[in-house]
Order: sequence, then C-alpha cells, then structure tokens
Amino acid sequence: MNADLADDDGVIIRVEQLHKWFGLLHVLRGVSLEVRAREVVVLIGRSGSGKSTFLRCLNFLEAPSAGRLRVAGLTADLQPGQRPPAEVVKNVRLRTGMVFQEFNLFPHMTALENVIEGLVSVKKMKKAQAVPVGETYLAKVGLLEKKDVHPIRLSGGQKQRVAIARALAMEPKVMLFDEPTSALDPELIGEVLEVMKQLAREGTTMLVVTHEMQFAREVADRVIYMEDGVILEDSPPETIFTQPADPRTRQFLDRLL
Amino acid sequence: MTADAASARPPDPDLNMGLTLIAAQRRANAGHALRVAVVWVALISILTLVLLQINVDPGYLLRRTDILRLIVVNGLGVTIAVSLVSVAIASVLALIGALGRLSSHPLAQGVSGFYVSVVRGTPLLIQLFLIYNGLAQIGTQLIRLGHPDIGRLLILDEISAGVMALSLNYGAYMTEIFRAGIQSISHGQWEAAQALGLTPGQTLWRVILPQAVRIIIPDIGNQFIAMQKDSALVSVIGVWEITYLATRSARTESKYIEMFLTAAAVYWLLTIVSTWAQTRLEKRMAQAYER
Repeated sequence: MNADLADDDGVIIRVEQLHKWFGLLHVLRGVSLEVRAREVVVLIGRSGSGKSTFLRCLNFLEAPSAGRLRVAGLTADLQPGQRPPAEVVKNVRLRTGMVFQEFNLFPHMTALENVIEGLVSVKKMKKAQAVPVGETYLAKVGLLEKKDVHPIRLSGGQKQRVAIARALAMEPKVMLFDEPTSALDPELIGEVLEVMKQLAREGTTMLVVTHEMQFAREVADRVIYMEDGVILEDSPPETIFTQPADPRTRQFLDRLL
Repeated sequence: MTADAASARPPDPDLNMGLTLIAAQRRANAGHALRVAVVWVALISILTLVLLQINVDPGYLLRRTDILRLIVVNGLGVTIAVSLVSVAIASVLALIGALGRLSSHPLAQGVSGFYVSVVRGTPLLIQLFLIYNGLAQIGTQLIRLGHPDIGRLLILDEISAGVMALSLNYGAYMTEIFRAGIQSISHGQWEAAQALGLTPGQTLWRVILPQAVRIIIPDIGNQFIAMQKDSALVSVIGVWEITYLATRSARTESKYIEMFLTAAAVYWLLTIVSTWAQTRLEKRMAQAYER
C-alpha cells in the first residue's frame, strides 16, 4: 500500500457485483468497476440509469444491497441485506470527498466555517490550526476573499467551488462528483469545471457523474456508460465519443451531441 | 447610496419616478393604518361607555394603589418568571421528545410517543392537580412507608408544581414543533455532513439544530406568549401570579369587573410587548445569513 492508499496494483476503488434495490426496484444490477489511483473516470448515462446511486454507494450514502467494495484500502463484503460495518463506513467517508449537485453547503456557516467544519469536528483539529488549512483550500478554488461570506451571498458557481474546497480540505484519496454542474446556470458552469480540470491535472483520483460531454472528452481517462443499472461500456473518451462499441451508447450520445 | 452620492449625480428620471411611487405607496399605507387605529379607539371607547353605565368604579384602582402595585409588580413578575422558566424547560423536553420521536430505537420512540399522547390527550388543569395534589399524596404515603427522603421530594410547593405542569404540558406540544423543525431541514444537509465524516450526533448539533431552531423561533415565541396566559391556571393551586392576586382582591373587595379587567389589561400589554420583542428577534435572526 502507498500514499494513495491504493492496492499494490494501483487500484484504489474495486467494486465487484454491486447490487442495489429500492424496494422492488433493482437499480444496480451487478456493477463491477476498477479505478486506479490518479485516474479520472467519468460516468455518463440517462437519468435513472443508476450512475448517481452507484457513486453514492461508494461512500455508503446509499447502503449497497449486496456486493464487494474496496475503497482506499477498506473492504466491505456484503451479503444481501447485510449492513456495511460502521467502522468501514466511517473510514471510507474520511478517505473520500463528495461534491453534490445541490452543493449542500451549511447555510448558517461562512464559507471558511464550511471548509473547516470537517477538520474541527472529524479530524479534531484546533480551530486555530484548521483556519490556515481552510484558507489554503479556499484560495485553491479562488474564493479566499469570500471566506467570511455566508452561502446565501454566493453565486451557484461560487457555492460549488466552496463545496469542492470543503471536500478537499479533508485531504481525501478519492473525490466523488455527483452531477456537480447540473444545478448551475450555464454561465456559471465553466468556473466549476475549471477547478475540476485543475484537480485532474494535479493527479486527483476522481469519479465524476456528469452530463458535460466536453469535460469528459477533455479530462477523463475513461468514460463509462451506464444503462438500466449495468455498465455497458468502459472506454477512453476518444473511443467512446467517436466509435462506441455498444449501439445503445451510440444512441445515447447521438441524442446528446 | 448616501445622500451625497445621490446629489452629486445628474437627476435620474427613473430614480425620481421610483421615489415618487414609493412615497405614494407609503402615504396609502399610513392612511390605512390610521383608519385601522381609529376602529381600535372606537371599540375601546364603546366598551368603556358600556362599563360606565353599570356600577363600575373606574377610579377605584387609582385610590387603591397598593392593590394595583401588587397585581402589576408582584403578579406580573411571577407570571413572567413562571412562563420564562417553564418555556425554557419545555424547550429542553421538546428537544428530547423530538429526538425520541425521530429515533429508530423502539424504547426512545415508545417513551416519547407515550409522553406526547398522554399529555396532549389530557387537560392541563388535571395535570396540574395530579402534580400538585397527586404527587403529594404519593409522597405522604412514601413517608409513612419509611422513605421520607423520596417522599419529601414529591411534595412540591405551588410554584414548582406549576412550573412542572406547564413545562410538561408545553413540552409535549413543542415536541411536535421541534420534530417538524428538524424534519424541515433538507436531507442534503445530513448527506453533506455524513460525507464529511460527521457522526449523527455532530450532524444534529452542528448542522441540523442551528438551522432548525432558527426556523422554529417564531413557534417557540408563540408558545411563550400562549403560556403567559395559560399560566393563569396555576392560580388555582395558589401561585401568587396576576390572576391569583386579582381573584383574591376581587373577592375581598367585591370589585370583580375592576380587578379582572385590570388583570386582563396586564396580560394584554404583556402579550403586545412580547409580540413586539418576538418580531425584533426574528428580524435579527433572519439577518444572520440572509441577503
């Protein structure tokens, strides 16, 4: 194991036969996937294809119904109906950062307070120690001058950048992005994607659920197409956007591009 | 924009039109408020005239300032103190009750559900008698059985019993307020906190409750204002608050209308002041993180 907390073969996320039921709805039907440290993997697919659910299973915001997960050195091997061990859940969340479609900033805290909340509450840092760390990450997303501002006074793009800083401040091994630009006005999408591109250049391991095909084309190492709870295609962007292997991928992309 | 900055610029027709429209709207609003005030004054005048037709003595209380002082100073003081302490204890009970109702633990759910159901299903007056007289009966029995320490604890003085009854009663109603407040916070807040690694307890204390309390402040204020009047009930066990003192003086002096109208006026003024304070508090809390 190394600084990335990846396995010896470089794989940091290993999912085998992941299943998820919502009641009688079988939304993930045996998803298997490997992500190597420092890879950028983009998940695409129609709404309802299971891509967001899949992402949310990785840090147990949704409890997987069955399957084997290994995330940053932690394993949960779940028989149907079994709940993931609390210790694994806690540590996986420490080692992953998540960015949500709706930002989910804490409205009663300033931008800086949002960013240092995890450091103080979870990592038990003193506030005096956490503040400079928080300021570093706010500066990284270009919002240091907004540190004392409450989210209500920020634009959507700024909110999402603060949310990214909040996740990064915990120094996660993997960043999960769940449609990070879907709730933004078109003119605000660029600034968020720019921050994400910078993270990708720095070698951050990223899983991104998005509809931004241009971003996928430019930044992704692999693009995964999901439909009806299974992965239909897993290819480099130059392949999937020009000659997708599966006709259903082609159909999806034709409608979109 | 400051006045200097405005005067330094050439006249802006849009700005002038805007200011004219605002001024017109303000005049209309002021005229409306004035007419409403006239109706209030008329209603009070008519009531006064009616009362003067019967044998009401309006100068009575001015001659008996000792009684007036007793009601307004002592009685009002006890009423405010009892209400404040009770609403504070009720808030703590309500928070615990709400967490119990939202918990997935059967014991917590059962206890809190039972508490809310029993208290909301029975009259406050009976709860008051049970706590004041009923507990005392159990206490006496325990003393007789040889447990004087526990027994004495159950024999409450009037104020303690009154505060306990009001707290328990309002705690049950406010449990539902707290529960609704907590549930009104979007699920995304829980998820964001969980994804950061906060425990459920930390999420509640640092993320959910600060937002929920802000939402339910108006409801807590309403409960406090309602309690100021419901606290009149504790006069029946002999707490020297406004209603008790008014009743006592009314009986000894045979001045019922004078005394009860005075008591009513004191409650009314208290409500008006509390409502005003509540509005100000809400405005201040809103400024905390709004545009």
